[in-house]
Amino acid sequence: MSSYIARRLLWAVLTLLAVTFFTFLVFFALSPDPAVAICGQTCTPDRIATIQHQLGIDQPFLVQFGTFLKGIFAGRTYGEGASAIACQAPCIGHSFQNGEDVLTMIFGRLPVSVTLAVGAAVIWLVFGISLGLVSALKSETGWDRASMVVALAGVALPNYFLALVLQYVLVVKLQVLPFPSSVGFTEDPGLWFQSYLMPWIVLAFLYVALYARLTRTNVLDTLNENFMRTARAKGLPGSLILRRHALRPSLTPLVTLFGMDIATLLGGALITETVFGLNGVGKLAFDAVATNDQPVIMGVTLFAAFFVVIANIVVDLLYRFLDPRLRTVTR
Amino acid sequence: MTQVRHPDEPAQTDGAPLLEVSNLSISFDTREGSSTVVDDISFRIDRHKTLGVVGESGSGKSMTSLAIMGLLPKGARTTGSVLFKGEELLGRSEKWLRKIRGDQIAMIFQDPLSSLNPYYTVGLQIEEAYLAHRGGGRKNARTVAIDAMRRVRITDAERRVDDYPHQFSGGMRQRIMIAMALTCEPDLIIADEPTTALDVTVQAQILELISMLQAETGAGMLFITHDLAVVSQVADAVHVLQNGQTMEAGPTEQIFSRPQDPYTRRLLAAVPRIDEVVDVPRPVFGGVQ
Amino acid sequence: MAMPTPATVPDVESGAAPLSAAPLATGRSPRRLFTGPVILSIAFLSVVLLMAVFAPFITKISGWGPYTFDPTAVDPATGGIPIGPFGGISSEHWFGVEPQSGRDIFARIVYGARVSMLIALSATLLTTLLGVLFGMLAGTFGGALDQVISRVMDFLMAFPTLIFMIALLSALPNINRPLMLITVLSLFGWVSMARIIRSQTMSLNRREFVEAAHASGASRAAIIFREILPNLSGSIIVIATLAVPTFIGVEAGLSFLGVGITPPTASWGQMISASVPWFTAVPSYFLIPGMFLFLTVLSATVLGDRAQKLIAGGHRL
Repeated sequence: MSSYIARRLLWAVLTLLAVTFFTFLVFFALSPDPAVAICGQTCTPDRIATIQHQLGIDQPFLVQFGTFLKGIFAGRTYGEGASAIACQAPCIGHSFQNGEDVLTMIFGRLPVSVTLAVGAAVIWLVFGISLGLVSALKSETGWDRASMVVALAGVALPNYFLALVLQYVLVVKLQVLPFPSSVGFTEDPGLWFQSYLMPWIVLAFLYVALYARLTRTNVLDTLNENFMRTARAKGLPGSLILRRHALRPSLTPLVTLFGMDIATLLGGALITETVFGLNGVGKLAFDAVATNDQPVIMGVTLFAAFFVVIANIVVDLLYRFLDPRLRTVTR
Repeated sequence: MTQVRHPDEPAQTDGAPLLEVSNLSISFDTREGSSTVVDDISFRIDRHKTLGVVGESGSGKSMTSLAIMGLLPKGARTTGSVLFKGEELLGRSEKWLRKIRGDQIAMIFQDPLSSLNPYYTVGLQIEEAYLAHRGGGRKNARTVAIDAMRRVRITDAERRVDDYPHQFSGGMRQRIMIAMALTCEPDLIIADEPTTALDVTVQAQILELISMLQAETGAGMLFITHDLAVVSQVADAVHVLQNGQTMEAGPTEQIFSRPQDPYTRRLLAAVPRIDEVVDVPRPVFGGVQ
Repeated sequence: MAMPTPATVPDVESGAAPLSAAPLATGRSPRRLFTGPVILSIAFLSVVLLMAVFAPFITKISGWGPYTFDPTAVDPATGGIPIGPFGGISSEHWFGVEPQSGRDIFARIVYGARVSMLIALSATLLTTLLGVLFGMLAGTFGGALDQVISRVMDFLMAFPTLIFMIALLSALPNINRPLMLITVLSLFGWVSMARIIRSQTMSLNRREFVEAAHASGASRAAIIFREILPNLSGSIIVIATLAVPTFIGVEAGLSFLGVGITPPTASWGQMISASVPWFTAVPSYFLIPGMFLFLTVLSATVLGDRAQKLIAGGHRL
């Protein structure tokens, strides 16, 4: 088992390395000179050269990449002398446009993304799974058909469109909610909740649809299994059969899916954040693209990839734990 | 078509039969219309006795057993009568049937691997039935489960009660299914091809186990199989089915030595015998509709 | 925006139920392809496709092109709000006009259909080809080739796709955006198809009829084309049909964010993005492209879904 984990970790590291390399390469090859952007309006070639040297982008590609990697473990200093800027370990970049270490910027925005992700997760787990479960139990009835239609619509509806529709209906026309504002939970819990409500709904909508459909399929498949027949033949009460024998096999695959979905969202729900103006990691990435703040783009990409890769391993181990057949060696 | 013969009276122990099936017919609504899978069959089973129901796949034998338990899939239509200890089973509510299932009538299925829930220990799955029908605490149920496992000759039962189905071999899993069926001391055991999925060597052990337990408990048994050799070992009376219809029925000895129906004769002739000349052409059976 | 992974596409091998006389306990399996919703979906998709193909002719009839400004349709006093109800709907401008610019929305919708369809269908074609190719290579030959391809797939899946696509697209020069989009979408899009094809190829290779073909001396190529591909065709069709709405959605999302199709070219996603500053005053500006986008994706998904159910039920398409 431990050799398995070790192998997975090794692959994880290699994957992250490859992702970083590839991203680095793309920016190196394609991006306009960031020094120009940082330099601003009043620019001289000398100043550009200074900035370039400070950024270290006058070095050949592999040297740059090597420096970047080293920085992740040991921190990094940009430039030298009086204008030197220190970037603490782990250093995944320093934004010259903002004057901050990228990791610091990400951590500053992380609470918003986490709030968004967790709130939406609660909604989609509760509604998605119950909808799927009820549909499976009442399959082929009007209820089932109706909820599957809703699920279908959920998959097809673009979330930015839903965001606009919701805001138009709830804020402009019905006036039951205010436009979302970035107020902290401690400042005004009521307003905080109201501000997050629509983003939560918008983000959760797609997942509710996906989870409902998946739950329904899984439950229907499980109900067809032979061990369900055995449970009925034993004369067990219906609710016990459902709770014990049907739910566990149906929901276990969802655990792994959920793990991956949450991990992805921790890297920022880009569109939802941007549309509602929430300062999360996703919006940070988007703004960075708009201003061509390369270190930030690199840093966020790496950060998001890191979560996904780690989540992959965690989820895999979790699944092995949850399914007894994978836990021990079979005869 | 030869006349159906009803089984000769096996030695009666105490009057009323345990199970009496009369004119049972089962049909399904399919895309192409109504399809009859069991057509007007009748038989009886007494305590201590085993009725073997024989036929090829698709002959309706499994459907019969499911009908008795009330476990037919949606869309099945049943007519006729199934009397268990004098009470009619057909048409009863789920709630009523649940009291009987697992308690007075127990079922053993064909494929023990897929018939056991892989997510739970065998101990739990054995305890379940007991707890549902007899109550009592988990501790007590656990003792019952361990005893049941010992009874079906699973060694080291104390430890193995916490193992999962995939950790057992095929034969042991079937023993667990049997243990599960016996926890509440049922009056009727329905065994649906219990040895088909097993190795030949293991088959014999399981059959011996089943017979022994039946003798111990005095239960009646409905034994379903396609294997005539197996039937000859366990059944007191035999009921031959083809395409849902009774071809022949009678005491085992009679069916095997003096088969009347051509289908029965062909079935018997298809079983290779050790004292026969080789290279004798075997009868070929047409496909099932 | 989450990339909807085809989590709902089942592994057909495990999901296929044998046809039997007794109905499935889950209810009757679908028998027809052309149910009510499917017919509606096909109808709507046909309209969209026709719009896409005949865009120039249609706009000739409607009178206004997608790039022509019409200052008379907007009211400069209000900052450019279209004159007339519902965003300026009139006999001249059937869907109204864009605020400020006064461009005909109907024309832009029609041309937007063209762009969306072009990109989505091209990307689907490309990813299908790549996905089937790599999936079959990995599944058939196994060994080192499989290892390499699988690692590449894992690597691509680990990417935070959306961020990367945005970064990539914004860094690329602004020439031939559609081509850029198709390339970027396909770069990441082939993986999910390849994964499924790979696992199905592997399990098909283990089946008896392949063994039989092999034993009777069939060449590898013959086995691939005559035994394996036909059995994969169902899955391929389903995945491809479901990929189209996914790509439409992703392209629209990227255009919404400003990195996809850039103005003045019309794209439904881009139109929605442009409508945001106006959405309180001129809701039709976001509702019209939004509804078109939604209904197109919905129709395509309904079709794909139906195909999927039929395949899983054991029918051949």
